[in-house]
Amino acid sequence: MSKRTSEAARARIAAQREVLRKQEQRKRMTMIITVAVVAVVAVAIGWWSMRQGAAEKVAGGLAPITVQEDGSVVMAKAGVTSPVVDIYEDYQCPACKQLEETSGSTLKNLAAEGKAKVVYHMITIFQQDPTKSNSLRAASAARCVTDGAQWMTYHDLLYKRQPDETTSGFGIDDLVKWGKEAGVTAPGFESCVRDQRNSAAHQQNSAQLISSLKLEGTPTVMLDGKPMDTNTAFAPSALRDAVLSAAKS
Amino acid sequence: MVQLASGTSVSERLQSEKPALSWVTTAARLILAAVLVAAGALKIGAPALSVQAVRGYQLLPDSVAQVVGYGLPVLEIIVGVLLAVGLFTRVAGVVSGLLMIAFIVGIGSAWARGLRIDCGCFGGGGPLAAGREPTYFWELMRDVGLLACAAWIVVKPSGRLSMESALGLTGPSGSGDDDSAAENGDSAA
Repeated sequence: MSKRTSEAARARIAAQREVLRKQEQRKRMTMIITVAVVAVVAVAIGWWSMRQGAAEKVAGGLAPITVQEDGSVVMAKAGVTSPVVDIYEDYQCPACKQLEETSGSTLKNLAAEGKAKVVYHMITIFQQDPTKSNSLRAASAARCVTDGAQWMTYHDLLYKRQPDETTSGFGIDDLVKWGKEAGVTAPGFESCVRDQRNSAAHQQNSAQLISSLKLEGTPTVMLDGKPMDTNTAFAPSALRDAVLSAAKS
Repeated sequence: MVQLASGTSVSERLQSEKPALSWVTTAARLILAAVLVAAGALKIGAPALSVQAVRGYQLLPDSVAQVVGYGLPVLEIIVGVLLAVGLFTRVAGVVSGLLMIAFIVGIGSAWARGLRIDCGCFGGGGPLAAGREPTYFWELMRDVGLLACAAWIVVKPSGRLSMESALGLTGPSGSGDDDSAAENGDSAA
């Protein structure tokens, strides 16, 4: 009689095992599907974010660039007067470098497409050395460039070579050498840089802009005189949309 | 049958023993999830800015700051959503706990070094404008509180209203699978 009960018990155990095995199987399947779904969503979000941060390529040539009397630089196709994108930046400021790397090409393209008038204003907010004197040297050297296209090449090169905030950089010799590298042909360029001839004018202009516009930091991007949210300014596609919709209105 | 019956009875017994505690887990999950999703969502649209916020701490080499700047908002959103719906809660709890420890170390070190930065926790970041003071103390308090939430979730995962219970993913042999699963999620993020 013990044999019969043990057989029955064995069968019951086997059935239980089978149920358990099926449960485990279902659980594993659910787990795999869940993980796959999470992974796909993660990749999709990551991809979208990468695209948000991706810089445009400068498609063709640049719009005409002119260096103004007050040191500001206008980049616009002939006849394009609005919308106006004002950029207040500093060669020494790391966030400005980031802005140039991320959104600089978008602004160049928008100007070349005739969708915006872009105006660069170099300012110096730094109060302490070495950042303050680095900034002043670079900004006053750039004001020695009179040709617009050469100015832009020099401007981009200065950002590429931006010194660390803790070290003294933008030395006079480098600024002269990089000017030649950028193809600057202005006759008095070297002496203008060496004498820091534009330093006072730059500081005056900078102080005036900071106080009249209540600029809190660099970079500040303004669209038709209104400060743009950094989340827009630093996202090329959002920046493009904002400028295009301002162009329509 | 027996297995099923005993299974339910065990979980019922656990729940009837400490019903309030599993609601605490749910609350901790939701608080942590809300903060993480908000923090990630406010940063993810402009990853270049997020990279700049990471650089503001002056702790990581530039290439690493790039990866963190881009990856962190994505990770925050994924982990936040997992916590909100209650999937892989223990692993999500561990990851968010590690994030909070990293934030506490970062903010603490910025404070100790006398940097004047915005923590960049919810967008923004970088050096503060003149006239604005850092708020390191409250940022640290907030992150310590969130770390406590994360720790609770790790110790008592799932809680009420969790998808992993609904899908039957919790249970004795589930923890091993959970781990490998979350690693996949991380590498994807």
